[in-house]
Amino acid sequence: MIRVQNLSKTYSRGGEPVVALREVSCEIASGEFVVIRGASGSGKSTLLNILGCLDTPTSGAYLLDGTDVASKSDSELSRIRSQKIGFVFQSFNLLPRTTARENVELPMIYAGGAPSRARATAALERVGLGHRVHHFATELSGGEQQRVAIARALINNPAVLLADEPTGNLDESAGATVMSLLQELNNEGHTIVLVTHDPAVAARAQRTLAIRDGVLSETEVAK
Amino acid sequence: MNLLPFLLSVGRTLSRNRIRAILMMAGVTIGIASLTILASIGESTRRETMKRFKNMLGTFDTVIIRPGAGKNRGMVTLANVDPTLRFEDASAMAQMPDVRQVAQIQDALDIDVKYRDRVETPAIFGVSSNWPELRGDEVVDGAFFSEDDNRSLARVAVLGAESRTRLFPGENPIGKTIRIGDVPFVVRGVMAARGAGPAGGSLDNLIFTPVTTASKRLFNRDFLTMMIVQLKDPNDSDAAVRRIEALLRERHHINGSALDDFNVTNPRAVMAQVTSLGSTLQKLLRVVAILATAIGGVVIMSVTLIAVSERKREIGVRRAVGASRLAVLLQFLLEAVLLAFAGGFAGAGIGIGGTQIVANWQHLPFLIQERAVALSLLLSIVIGLVFGIYPAWKAANTNPVDALRG
Ligand SMILES: Nc1ncnc2c1ncn2[C@@H]1O[C@H](COP(=O)(O)OP(=O)(O)OP(=O)(O)O)[C@@H](O)[C@H]1O
Ligand SMILES: [Mg+2]
Repeated sequence: MIRVQNLSKTYSRGGEPVVALREVSCEIASGEFVVIRGASGSGKSTLLNILGCLDTPTSGAYLLDGTDVASKSDSELSRIRSQKIGFVFQSFNLLPRTTARENVELPMIYAGGAPSRARATAALERVGLGHRVHHFATELSGGEQQRVAIARALINNPAVLLADEPTGNLDESAGATVMSLLQELNNEGHTIVLVTHDPAVAARAQRTLAIRDGVLSETEVAK
Repeated sequence: MNLLPFLLSVGRTLSRNRIRAILMMAGVTIGIASLTILASIGESTRRETMKRFKNMLGTFDTVIIRPGAGKNRGMVTLANVDPTLRFEDASAMAQMPDVRQVAQIQDALDIDVKYRDRVETPAIFGVSSNWPELRGDEVVDGAFFSEDDNRSLARVAVLGAESRTRLFPGENPIGKTIRIGDVPFVVRGVMAARGAGPAGGSLDNLIFTPVTTASKRLFNRDFLTMMIVQLKDPNDSDAAVRRIEALLRERHHINGSALDDFNVTNPRAVMAQVTSLGSTLQKLLRVVAILATAIGGVVIMSVTLIAVSERKREIGVRRAVGASRLAVLLQFLLEAVLLAFAGGFAGAGIGIGGTQIVANWQHLPFLIQERAVALSLLLSIVIGLVFGIYPAWKAANTNPVDALRG
C-alpha cells in the first residue's frame, strides 16, 4: 500500500544543502507493523512526514494506495491525511484548553462531516480512557495523553498509523501500555509504521528498517 | 468541510482564552460604543436644536428683521438698538404681495413688574395683536388682546407661563392688576408654555402688552426692536427676502453700496447652518471613533500575530490531522472576525446604555439610530476581516513540519 522509490529530501541550511533522505526506496504492505530505527538526525522523522503527506520529497516517487502523491495540491494532500493517515507524536501534541473528546473530534471536523460525540467517546473507550472524556490535556498523565492521541489518530479509520517515537516521553510502564495498544491495533488490521530508538520497542516489529545518514536499509525479518 | 462544527470549534477556542479574548475585543468595543453614542446623541441633539428653534421662532415660514447692520450680538433691547425700524416700515411691508402679515415688536428686559409684594423682571414684549396667530402660540387662560386694544393703547397684559407662576403662584391672574414699571396693567390672559430656547433658557418668563401701549406708555420710543414677517410662500423665501431688503433700503434712503441699517434673518437658513455646524463636529467625532475602532483592529491583528507564533504547534497538529491551508486560514480569520464582532456587539450594547446616560444628563430625548448600530456591527466585521487576514495568512503558511518539530 505504501511504495517509495528513489525518494530524496534536501534541506538547505544557511545556503548549504543538507541531505536528509538519500534515494530511499521501500514498500510497506497493508497490515504490516514496521519499525524504523536510526541515530538522531538520520532522517527518520523526515521520512515519516513524507509518508504522512505532511512534507513533500525533493525528488523521487511516492505511491499511496497506487496514487502518486507528489503531484497533489495542498487541499488534496490534506484530504489524504484526513482519510488515510493517523499521526502519533513523541510529545503527544494534544491541543491545549481542549478536552480529550474534543481532541478526538478534531479530525472529524476536517474530514468534512459533523463530529460524532458517540464515536469520539467510543474511540476513547477503545484506548481505555472512557473515564477521561472531559479531561483537559493538562489533567492527564503522559501515557493517557498519548492514548488520547492514538484515539485521535484512529477516529477517521485511517489505513496507516504513523508513530514518531510514541514512547519517547513515557516511563517504562506507560510506554508498555502504549506499545501493547499499538500491537492490538495492528492485530486488528491497522498498518503501523513506528520510529523508535528503543530496542525493546523495536523487538515487537515484524520488520525493521534501519536508516543511516538518510540511507534506508532492510535489517532483519523477525519471528 | 462542514462549517457549523468548524465555527463551534472556533468559538470554543476563543471562549477557552477568555481574558485574552476580552482584552482583544476592548478596542473595538470602545470604538463601536462611542460610534453608537455619537450617532444617537448627534441625531437627538439635531432634533432638539430644531425643536428649540421652533419654540423660539414659532414657525419656519417667517423672516426676522432687526435694526442695525447685523453687528449687534445677542439680544436686541431698547437700550442698545438703532432707531431705524419704524411702525410705517411694518405697514409698508404688510402691503407687499410676498407677505401674509407682519408682527411688530418692541421689547425690553430690565423693567420691574410688581404684583402686591412680589417683584419680577420678566422680558416685556410689546407686540401687535397678530402675534399668537403668526407664532402659532396658544392662550391657555383668558384671551390675547385685540387690534382694538392695540389701537386704543389699552393697558392690558398677557402673561407667559413662567411669569404667571412667578407672579401668581396658586392664584388666578385674570382681571388682576400688575404694575409694569409704574404703569398699571390688567391681566387679560395667560400663554401656553413654549419650553426651552436654543440656548436652553426659558422662553416663558415674559409679559405681552399691545405694542402701541408699550411704545407710548412704557418705553416712550417710536421705533421697533424687531419685526416678524410671515411669508405667503416660505419655499420662495430667498427671493422674498431680497424684495424685503430692497423695500427697506428704499424707505431708509440707502443708496448704492451703502450698508443696510437693518438685518434680515431667514430662520430656514439659520437652521440649515446650525444643523450643518452640528454635523461638522459630529463628522469629526465620528472620524475619531472610527479611528478608535481601527486601533481596536490593530490590537486584534498584533495579538493574533503573536498567537500565530505561540500556537505554531497547534497549527502543526491541525494540519497533521487533516486541516488544509485554507482551513487554518479560516480558523484564524474567523477567530478575528468573531472577536471583532463580539467586541462590536458589546460596544453597541454599551453604546445604547451610554446614550441613555448622556441623554438623561443632557436632557435630550433618548433615541437610538438603528441604522448606525447596524452599520457599526458591519464595521466591526469588516475590521475583523481586514485585520485578521494577514495573521491568518501567516498561520496558513506556517510549515507544519517545522511547527511540529521539537
Ligand atoms: N527544516 C530543516 N532545515 C534544515 N535541516 C533540516 C530540517 N529538518 C531536518 N533537517 C535536518 O535533516 C536531518 C534529518 O532530520 P530528522 O528530523 O528527520 O532526523 P531524525 O532521524 O528524526 O532525528 P531524531 O532522532 O533526533 O528525531 C537532520 O540533519 C536535520 O538537522
Ligand atoms: Mg525525529
